[in-house]
Amino acid sequence: MARSGFIVSAIRRLFTGPPLYYVWMLVLTILAGIGIAAYTVQLEKGLIITGMTSYVSWGFYIGNFTFLVGVAAAAVLLIIPAYLYDFGPIRDIVIVGEALAVSALAMCMMFVTADLGRPDRIWHLLPGLGILNLPKSLLGWDIVVLNGYMFLNLFIPGYILWKAYNNQEVNMRFIWPFILLSIPWAVSIHTVTAFIYNGLAARPFWNASILAPRFLASAFCSGPALVIVLYQIVRHYTKFHVKDEALFKIAEMISIAMAVNLFLLLAEFYKELYSNTHHLSPLLYLYAGLHGKGVLIPWIWTALIFNIIAFLIFLIPSTRKNFVTLNIGCVLIIIGIWIEKGMGLIIPGFIPAPLGEVWEYVPTTLELLVAMGIWAIGLLILTTILKIIIPIETGEFTSAKNAETAGLGHHHVPA
Amino acid sequence: MKGIIASIKPVLLVAASAIIVACLAPGSIPAQVTLPEEPKSEDTTTRESGQEFPVPIAPLPKTITPCRACHGPEKDFPVNFTRREDLLIHRNIRLAHGGVRVWCLDCHHPENRNVLLPLSDGKPIEFSQSYLLCGKCHGTKYRDWRNGIHGKRSGSWSGEKQYYLCVTCHDPHQPKFKPLEQMPPPAKPWTPREIQVKH
Amino acid sequence: MPDPTRTRESVAESNESTTPDAARCRPDDVRPDRRTFLAGAVSFLGLLSVSSCSWQEFVQNHFKRMTEKEIQETVERLKAEYKQKYGKDFVVGTEAPIDGTLFGYALDIQRCIGCRRCVYACVDENNQTRNPQMQYIRVLRFKDGNMDLEESTIYYDPEEVPEAGYYYMPVQCQHCVNAPCTKVCPVQATWTEPDGIVVVDYNWCIGCRYCMAACPYMGRWFNFADPVIPAEQVNTNTHYLGNRPRMRNVVEKCTFCIQRVRQGQYPKCVEACPVGARKFGNLLDPDSEISRIIKTKRVFRLKEDLNTQPKFYYFFS
Repeated sequence: MARSGFIVSAIRRLFTGPPLYYVWMLVLTILAGIGIAAYTVQLEKGLIITGMTSYVSWGFYIGNFTFLVGVAAAAVLLIIPAYLYDFGPIRDIVIVGEALAVSALAMCMMFVTADLGRPDRIWHLLPGLGILNLPKSLLGWDIVVLNGYMFLNLFIPGYILWKAYNNQEVNMRFIWPFILLSIPWAVSIHTVTAFIYNGLAARPFWNASILAPRFLASAFCSGPALVIVLYQIVRHYTKFHVKDEALFKIAEMISIAMAVNLFLLLAEFYKELYSNTHHLSPLLYLYAGLHGKGVLIPWIWTALIFNIIAFLIFLIPSTRKNFVTLNIGCVLIIIGIWIEKGMGLIIPGFIPAPLGEVWEYVPTTLELLVAMGIWAIGLLILTTILKIIIPIETGEFTSAKNAETAGLGHHHVPA
Repeated sequence: MKGIIASIKPVLLVAASAIIVACLAPGSIPAQVTLPEEPKSEDTTTRESGQEFPVPIAPLPKTITPCRACHGPEKDFPVNFTRREDLLIHRNIRLAHGGVRVWCLDCHHPENRNVLLPLSDGKPIEFSQSYLLCGKCHGTKYRDWRNGIHGKRSGSWSGEKQYYLCVTCHDPHQPKFKPLEQMPPPAKPWTPREIQVKH
Repeated sequence: MPDPTRTRESVAESNESTTPDAARCRPDDVRPDRRTFLAGAVSFLGLLSVSSCSWQEFVQNHFKRMTEKEIQETVERLKAEYKQKYGKDFVVGTEAPIDGTLFGYALDIQRCIGCRRCVYACVDENNQTRNPQMQYIRVLRFKDGNMDLEESTIYYDPEEVPEAGYYYMPVQCQHCVNAPCTKVCPVQATWTEPDGIVVVDYNWCIGCRYCMAACPYMGRWFNFADPVIPAEQVNTNTHYLGNRPRMRNVVEKCTFCIQRVRQGQYPKCVEACPVGARKFGNLLDPDSEISRIIKTKRVFRLKEDLNTQPKFYYFFS
């Protein structure tokens, strides 16, 4: 009884809200529809509709996937500083972070599926039915850790919220191990994704020990920035409360992460420029062009400038504590990391090709539409989750209140 | 006792000096020196002359074979050992093989034009085994050819192979290869922009 | 040669018009509703359309896990498909590796003149798609004096070859002992056979292209569209793991002409080379050409520092 009441009232909640909410959801739905339509064209005609070639065989989809894995990881990793700095009940931080993680993970999985040549053969990945090439294949590991992470991020908040919904006490001794597990697991998803690229000796741009640390550093920039923006939106539209200090603390952490990221970039520059081997070529292509080709140059320099400005904004206390500059900083850093870790990481890995040719990649319109559709679906998932869990968190949405509003007069039966 | 030693003394002296001389005089007694082993070549001259390889028929032009028809007992042209450019009926042959080092009669048998000059065993080389003659000067290439390293080979990697005569590919009178027409370059991969490769 | 100014979509569309009009299982009248969110439902039909026509192909097992009977059934099904598509009777062999063989290849770059006859012989023999064009062998042209890959080109187009001041080095799949591609495949769709050939089960590949990112030699190629082979040029003598006609969105590569070498013949590129620059044989046989080359000539392999241990050697004679 409690469950059906939950579903009905959840759906009702999804369809009620301020006008802006309707516009937001409608726009997202339309964008998602366009993306799905574009994907059907891809299914019909094959990957030839993308800009990928045998030279640059991964592109926009995998770039977005890499960025979003970082977001998913960092969203949960915020638990650590939340616990250390003790700002707000940990549960609140966990919940919103995990909502972001779930939607980011869903987008990751959608991007990988969109990139597959034969999605009809996806069952080949299932161990037993198909073959999952463990322990050798890092993609195999990535599938395991991403799915495990998805389970953790659905189970933990699901459990906590279900208890809250039914006005019951959370059994911390039961759930705490899962929460603890999710922290190294969050590190692992991002490290495994970094290792996918890192282990390829054929691609010297990726085959550098600095890659996995850079992944973590940049994840700690983009994920928390999204969380800051998310918290402000949630705070504005619901009764959910987050202290300003919490947001400023997260921003401070971002500045440290960005400092590390910039330092690691400097280290990469030095190593390639000073030793001046052929391994310099991908970095040169990205920042200065190679053989007259350099379509990514304006993008990466924009990203670098955005990152530096954001770093300064988060570093200086007065700009960090000013919400206007803080939000500008967040937007800048999200865009900067999205470029740097998306296209700015994937494409130069393939240029120059193993036999020395330089062929560029630019995503086609259909590719962009599919990616946009996936982002829209991800945001739909995020909004849906938040629309349901925030009221549970604030105590507005409980089974008891459901029963009252429904006028059924049923007494709450403990689950 | 003393007397016996005294009488043996000169014998011992002579023996000792003989040994010393023998040790010092080179070559008198063969020294214990190990000569480097001669790499065992697979062929001996007797085997070479009779060596068979599955080669196609020699590409002799049909209009002027057999050579003995003109250079034979009936016509019996006198043999002219002077190097010259005008070869009369063989005017179409422009010799460009080794410059001054090689001339017609360095390969073709002066008395019997149906065969080529012999190897040191005296047996003239048939046109069907002309590789033996080429191998006289081009020994390394010949050894590589025998081992399957030089030149085209077709057939089976594990069994019967088709060898080719040297002259199947190399014109013996003008052995330098002419350039070939090459097949088209690959199509460039699709890119959204018309960016041309620098090279 | 395809017109480089054609767009990708036009290429894909022309593929549909030039491919032999065979009965495809997807219904022609299914057109996705592109206008609205309902397209989501129809995308599922689209998924079915890109998947196989038949239920058997969809559930087909990995080649190494199939029983003899299953392999035979698969071969029969494929032969029927190819007959329908190309109008010819195909041979789809499944010959096992020959005992005691480990194939090696050697290429004499003193002899290679860059004529590209090997490239096109390979395309014909291995049923590679003509549009979009695919070539397993890329002939690199270097300037005399270095082996700088970044300064090399495969697009040289003189009147005649060889050109003065340059030398040529063809590159194809190196069939590495320590192959990075087989390591990274998430579904084990590519592996090294006991006779040393690195193969792909085209019906198992999910098209993730991780192996292509891992290969240091551009040995692997992707069918972005449906392969186009003119019916009169198709080679009907095929092997399941080799040159049987492939489908879209899977990876393929040189297989040392597995359909030929497992029957004792040379690969087609060896046969096609007019100057005899290409040598092939059994590394385990001390009397084979390849063994003799390794013993007597100075051989090298590409990118030795990557420790891939290629079985493709280069030498100078």
